[in-house]
Amino acid sequence: MIDMSNVTGIAEGKSLTAMGNKDHVDHLKDEGDIPLRHHERTGSNQTNNYSVLDFYEMDSPNPGAERQFGNTPKRFDNDPVSEGETSGDVTDDEQEHEVPISPANISNNIPSQHSPKDRDDTDVPLQFDEELGFSSITGSEFDIYGFKKSSSYHGISREEYDKWFLEYHKYTQKNRKKWHLLMKNNGLSILDNNTPKRFPPRSNKVKKMIRKGLPPEWRGSAWFFYAGGYEKLNKHVGVYEQIVRDTKNIQNKDTEVIERDLNRTFPDNKYFNDLLRLKPQTTEYGKNEGETQIIKALRRVLVAFAHYQPHIGYCQSLNFLAGLLLLFMEEEKAFWLLVILTERIIPNVHSADLEGVHTDQGVLMLCIKEYIPSLWSVIGRNYDGEALGEDAVISKLPPASLVTSSWFMSIFVTVLPVETALRVWDILWYEGSKTIFRISLTICKLCFEHPEFQDIRSRSIGSSETEQIELYQFMQNYPKTLQDCNLLISSCYKKIGGYGFGSLSQDEINQCRHYISKQRSKLQNKQLLSANLSREERNSLISSSLPASNQEDYSDVYEFHKPIMSGVRWNRNLSTKMKRKFSKKN
Amino acid sequence: MSSAEKTSVLRKYKIVFLGDQSAVGKTSLITRFMYDTFDDQYAATIGIDFLSKTMYLEDNKTIRLQLWDTAGQERFRSLIPSYIRDSHVAVVCYDITNRKSFQNLHKWIQDVKSERGEDVIIVIVGNKLDLNARRQVTSEEGEEYAKSVGASFSIETSTKANHNVKLLFKKIASSLPEFESTAQNNSSQSETVEINVEPSAPESSSCC
Repeated sequence: MIDMSNVTGIAEGKSLTAMGNKDHVDHLKDEGDIPLRHHERTGSNQTNNYSVLDFYEMDSPNPGAERQFGNTPKRFDNDPVSEGETSGDVTDDEQEHEVPISPANISNNIPSQHSPKDRDDTDVPLQFDEELGFSSITGSEFDIYGFKKSSSYHGISREEYDKWFLEYHKYTQKNRKKWHLLMKNNGLSILDNNTPKRFPPRSNKVKKMIRKGLPPEWRGSAWFFYAGGYEKLNKHVGVYEQIVRDTKNIQNKDTEVIERDLNRTFPDNKYFNDLLRLKPQTTEYGKNEGETQIIKALRRVLVAFAHYQPHIGYCQSLNFLAGLLLLFMEEEKAFWLLVILTERIIPNVHSADLEGVHTDQGVLMLCIKEYIPSLWSVIGRNYDGEALGEDAVISKLPPASLVTSSWFMSIFVTVLPVETALRVWDILWYEGSKTIFRISLTICKLCFEHPEFQDIRSRSIGSSETEQIELYQFMQNYPKTLQDCNLLISSCYKKIGGYGFGSLSQDEINQCRHYISKQRSKLQNKQLLSANLSREERNSLISSSLPASNQEDYSDVYEFHKPIMSGVRWNRNLSTKMKRKFSKKN
Repeated sequence: MSSAEKTSVLRKYKIVFLGDQSAVGKTSLITRFMYDTFDDQYAATIGIDFLSKTMYLEDNKTIRLQLWDTAGQERFRSLIPSYIRDSHVAVVCYDITNRKSFQNLHKWIQDVKSERGEDVIIVIVGNKLDLNARRQVTSEEGEEYAKSVGASFSIETSTKANHNVKLLFKKIASSLPEFESTAQNNSSQSETVEINVEPSAPESSSCC
């Protein structure tokens, strides 16, 4: 992680907090209890079982309680080990855990913090706290996270960035003060501008503050805290370290793809791409062949993850997710947040069959249909420009979902400008997956209202796919222009002016996921069931299972059961005949 | 077919870029063509990127190329058919320094053919010609393979050295017009589509 505030969580006191437990548990339940076939988790048969190690696991009598260990950050290469304790004193922690500590007590127990020694970046410009940092940023070609400010990809120049940053910096400063006050009011004082390890319990006030944005230097810590990272970590003490050891020299299909993607992860960030800061006078960087510490950590996290979640393995886009996390926290925490994300927040989106992509895109499309019908009338069409029927989204996502899929897979990383994506992440880890849907809807709405979109639309409505593609292209590029994070966030949550998707609840999303998932698995089962039948019989079976209105053009955008469809289209007569035959059989 | 058309409507062509796993150079090819730039590293493509560029041809003709840049990882192939659908040209790429990416060409071509039959122009591109010394696939092999699968042509390019990229797109453009009549006639397409009824049954489900 980047040493952003000169203090990284290396050594924490063995402390704990029981704050905000109830809220937290409820929240987790929100995401975790989705009773879907496709979203279901059964832990042991889906993840590699590290139960041998789990003798460390301490199931607490109060499962919602937050516990923190002093031994979380570790490096597993040959770097000098951080100054932190090498191993947590489990027993002590457990004993302490029995005694809930009130926030007031916690404030006296601020973890000591040290700078990590294992980073090679001596030129970290990240001094957020004072004006000093500000001037070093305005003078740099990189932003506070190490990304190049000017980006042809996002169509922004360095000057434009600085102009925006000047304003936004003021906002951040003001916000930072509010956060410090909030912490203080919750008995969580912050010494020497250290990064706090604990945050106030969930409340409307905190939610509001999160939506306003976290101080950049607190992000990693707060994300981890609110996402339930400590519960996960404390149940799996030493597991990450063990996996890293186990996977140190393995080579397989996943590692092959991972290797190819390492250098393709944020090539515009100086912590990832040494070449960016390779100045003549600092040739020492040449020594490690362009591989930065963070790339090494990224490799370990991705390889470990692929090993731990074999049903996912490695999926492109995980590199961006893990990469961004690594900018804000040490690798063990990044690993567990990645696990939390893929298990609980967007399950199956990265799995081998990408089933979660199909499900969540179906949900998003239904949401667009429901909440932005005017947009749906434009994009709710198939490739031939025909409007999609009622049930179509289950099996036949409109092509616009090709654009929105990557919003989910990489949770807006590389989709939105960096700071905007980070603001979404602040909310995501606190509020869960509904955030992705709400933000997606907001982007869609803003995009739809853009004059250029309307212009393209007026030229392309009802016409062929090649015309529609211009629309998708605009939709794809539009988020990149959303440098104004506050515009996006406030548009998402404001209640006036017909805007605002803050009322779209997690329940609604879960129900919708359940519905789509069920319908899809029904169709899939039908397909499987018919695997032993002849082609004609299978055709008839499938077509008989479809709503009549959809039979004609039932070709799945996502290749759901495309082969069968070719048959149906090829000879509808035959299929009708077989359908009749089949219904007789039945 | 060759008669100069009135270009009141800008004719658009969809070109989909396919190719193995990561880093054969699909994004790099497109970027070189679009912006005439080259970076040593491109961010991995997730899902799909849409780009388009208007091309001015000889005889005063303009066409608009819609380029679909796709993710190379195996699992994204489940999304690919929809990319390929209705595409006029499929540019299937490999890396001349990576034999495996060459050997996997057939997978992509199979996908193209099962979706589009013979109704599509297939172009084979061997990229990274600047790394000629590390070559693992000879030019002859490339050409031979292209012939064997009925590709319109094959070409070796270097996006880094800006070699043959313009030529590639020129050749694509010049092979397009023959296409016009069939491209519009989508309804006939289903008759030529290869019937493929292999069930893509999900392994995880159990049937009872």
